[in-house]
Amino acid sequence: MEFIEQLFNGFWQFFQYTGFANVTFGHIAMLIVGSFFIYLGIAKEYEPLLLVPIGFGILVGNIPFFEGVGLQLGIYEEGSVLNLLYFGVLKGIYPPLIFLGIGAMTDFSALLSNPKLMLLGAAAQLGIFFTYITAITLGFTSQQAAAIGIIGGADGPTAIFLSSKLAPQLLGAIAIAAYSYMALVPVIQPPIIKLLTTEKERKIKMKPPRAVSKSEKVIFPIVGLLLTTFISPGGLPLLGMLFFGNLLKESGVTKRLADTASKPLIDIVTILLGLTVGASTQATTFLTPASILIFVLGAISFMIATAGGVIFAKIMNIFLKDEDKLNPMIGAAGVSAVPDSARVVQHLGIKEDPSNYLLMHAMAPNVSGVIGSAVAAGILLSLLL
Amino acid sequence: MFYQNHINIDSLKAAQDSLRTIAEKSNSLNTVTFDLSKIGNDEIILTVLGYGIVFLALLILYLFFANLTKLINITRKKRLKAAGKESSDKDELPISGETTAAISLALALQFQEAHDFENTVITIKKVQSAYSPWNSKLYGLRQNPKY
Repeated sequence: MEFIEQLFNGFWQFFQYTGFANVTFGHIAMLIVGSFFIYLGIAKEYEPLLLVPIGFGILVGNIPFFEGVGLQLGIYEEGSVLNLLYFGVLKGIYPPLIFLGIGAMTDFSALLSNPKLMLLGAAAQLGIFFTYITAITLGFTSQQAAAIGIIGGADGPTAIFLSSKLAPQLLGAIAIAAYSYMALVPVIQPPIIKLLTTEKERKIKMKPPRAVSKSEKVIFPIVGLLLTTFISPGGLPLLGMLFFGNLLKESGVTKRLADTASKPLIDIVTILLGLTVGASTQATTFLTPASILIFVLGAISFMIATAGGVIFAKIMNIFLKDEDKLNPMIGAAGVSAVPDSARVVQHLGIKEDPSNYLLMHAMAPNVSGVIGSAVAAGILLSLLL
Repeated sequence: MFYQNHINIDSLKAAQDSLRTIAEKSNSLNTVTFDLSKIGNDEIILTVLGYGIVFLALLILYLFFANLTKLINITRKKRLKAAGKESSDKDELPISGETTAAISLALALQFQEAHDFENTVITIKKVQSAYSPWNSKLYGLRQNPKY
């Protein structure tokens, strides 16, 4: 009899450590969210390289277990494997490495052939600052508001970089919101673009971009780094790596380094970043009213940023000659989210006029948006840290 | 028995609850209120200054590269003129999007050695390794094995 009792107690002890004994409604909700992300990534092919690791990370982070007894399993338990990998997110190590890869992949020719399109990348940062103010009114601190606002920059690594410095406690929610909206660019942007433009404007054909010389391409990352970081030194880790990666690509003599930065390195970092950011959404710390509010504010930020770019392109058109007129839709690509927002513009352009190719034109504000959001992050960091 | 030496479950539950409380406390915002009066001068200054500086940074970049192109073109024309060659203006005639796309596709196919015809016949080729004394069986054996 005693043996059976001991057996039962032993089983009960084991059961207390299982996921079944520790599961809460929050865990189940987050497991559904994680599965939904994986579904979006695989079935709908919305940013699969991001949504699949993040979605799986959400599953990993929300397996219920007995917390606080030194099992060192959870991402927030010091010394656990996930906690060590999360270090790269918390200390802002992964975002600059991602930027190195982006720089090594990005061709700035479209921007250099028509430099005035850089201004669209600046205009689309309106969402960041509008959301900053809105978040303040909702009771967030200045630092938290800035970290939330950066979601409007539509740049996941920048959002992670800034929130890891200004509001680490909101990092999970901000990162998930930023990546979700980046994946949902094809859903969010078209209605706003259509609302703000006329059919005639959407049919505007832009002058084909001119050829860009190699010297211009080599000078760009060097001068770009000097000019932007002298103005906004806070963005140095991001901008430095972005322009360095681009110099590796454009110099033509460091092909191996550029290949490593743009392929294996960025892939490794994307896996680690996606998985750990996903795992950081542990239900016990993630499911709060603040997280829901961050999602709402993120959506607003993204919409305002899109609108800011489109409206500024229309304003620029007032001052441009007829042959230089811009198709205002390309302003929406200023939100960065490379290259998805440029693809959205191309798709809308083709829909209006099958002979109107806007992809190359839209890539200019798109890459300029990456610089713009990194500069904005640097400014917010300098003023608020 | 192993379970008798183990930590008491109730104390573990208490530890777990205290962890949750800490996590909840770390989240400073649990109630939502909209209050315009929270926007002070500092916030407005940061917004205007921040957005202005982003514009300024990209405006400077634009001005630099807009003029760099002109500078490069002037230098190139001077060099060509000095060498007695024609101006390179002809190179800058706009090419239509379709032509650019066709040229780009042709170049991409050429560089990637891609082809749109796939031979469906699978042939197993005999692979014969080249002779080398290192892989020769002959040298691995004695000519006249004793035993």
